[in-house]
Amino acid sequence: MYPIIELGPVNLGSGALLLVIAVFVGHVRFERVARRRGGELLAHRAGRCAPFALVGAAIGARLWYGLFNWDMYSQSPELFLMLRAGDLAWPGALIGGALAGYAYLRVRRMDDAGVSLADAAALALPPAQMIASFGLLLSGEALGAPTDLPWAAPLFGAPRHPVALYYLLAALATWGALMWVVRRSSQPGMLAVAYLALQGSALLLLEALRVDSLVATGGVRVAQVVGLAMIIVALWWKRTHPTSGLHRL
Amino acid sequence: MTFSRHIWDLLLVATLLFGSVFIWTTRITPNAAATTPAPQSAVAQPAPRIGHPAPEFALTAVNGSQVALSDLRGQVVLINFWATWCPPCRAEMPAIQQAYDRFRDQGFLVLAVNQQEDAASVAKYMSEQRLTFPALLDSDARVSTDYQARVLPSSFFVDRRGIIRAVYRGPMSRGMIEGAIEQLIAETP
Repeated sequence: MYPIIELGPVNLGSGALLLVIAVFVGHVRFERVARRRGGELLAHRAGRCAPFALVGAAIGARLWYGLFNWDMYSQSPELFLMLRAGDLAWPGALIGGALAGYAYLRVRRMDDAGVSLADAAALALPPAQMIASFGLLLSGEALGAPTDLPWAAPLFGAPRHPVALYYLLAALATWGALMWVVRRSSQPGMLAVAYLALQGSALLLLEALRVDSLVATGGVRVAQVVGLAMIIVALWWKRTHPTSGLHRL
Repeated sequence: MTFSRHIWDLLLVATLLFGSVFIWTTRITPNAAATTPAPQSAVAQPAPRIGHPAPEFALTAVNGSQVALSDLRGQVVLINFWATWCPPCRAEMPAIQQAYDRFRDQGFLVLAVNQQEDAASVAKYMSEQRLTFPALLDSDARVSTDYQARVLPSSFFVDRRGIIRAVYRGPMSRGMIEGAIEQLIAETP
């Protein structure tokens, strides 16, 4: 683990640093993918929508973390506003970002671009998630349950599942699968739906190995519930939007 | 894929069922450790989080003595990560000293874990500020890393059983410190 990166007199948290890089990469890729898939108009809309989605993601990530750490956050509500990269939750970021992006498009009457932008976001997110997961790995976040597997990482006195590494690999697999989908289907929304199904499965399965999950009543891990909901939304969408001959290449 | 709606319906129901059962069987159960010896419940794993046992450490104090967290079981312990160059850390030290003076006789101890400074400057600061609780030297930042103390100050309140009960990042007020201690001291081990 390398939680602190020393650059001369400056100590940077590796998790926070890589999160900032991930956001930057995701943002740049979002516009680039939008340009490639929908020309200058879609790139322009992506550029206008992205800052709102990012702010929504940041708010969602912190609110989510605070709500499921209510003991600590209700005692010190100022924590909601503190600049701390560790107290962010990915499901909250995804929901907040999507809601804020969609709200912006609705207000600006650009709803018709929503599906194309969701597809562009699906292609832009996995590399950004890989970078952010690498940050989690360096900073020792997302710690896993003890295991005897040969690739276990030593942390807190026990060999443990490197859950951050699993998330990194899941993002890589999602990226690869989406590249495959791009070539097979031109159905609008298909990439976003494939992303939801794959990342939902990752959340559902991998979160079970974590020991620092945010927990709801009954000990249920909230991220798993979100993961299952993502899969269900994806399947429901596929059920109601069957592939037409036009969309199959 | 061109499945009929029936197949999609089946797939939806199956996913919902499998997912729900999976979530329920992999939920975190705090009492599992008491009834089933293995696997250990997730909450029983040492981690720098509320509800988890505090990760174990042994460090050298500025006076040369060795302090191990496991030796302090039965006491309420405030583990405070700090450095002399950190203004908010310095700001909360008088309040911590006050709480230490007030609750020491009731089984409360402060471990001020200094991040990577030399013993002489830490000792000088402690004596100048008349701070009497043990200052420990985390020379290689190993303990700070274990506690993910990337923000200074970071404070962990550990109860008599060795479980982390409150975590504060950033400076604490006197009320926050004494409130946490009073609650934990009142609990029977």
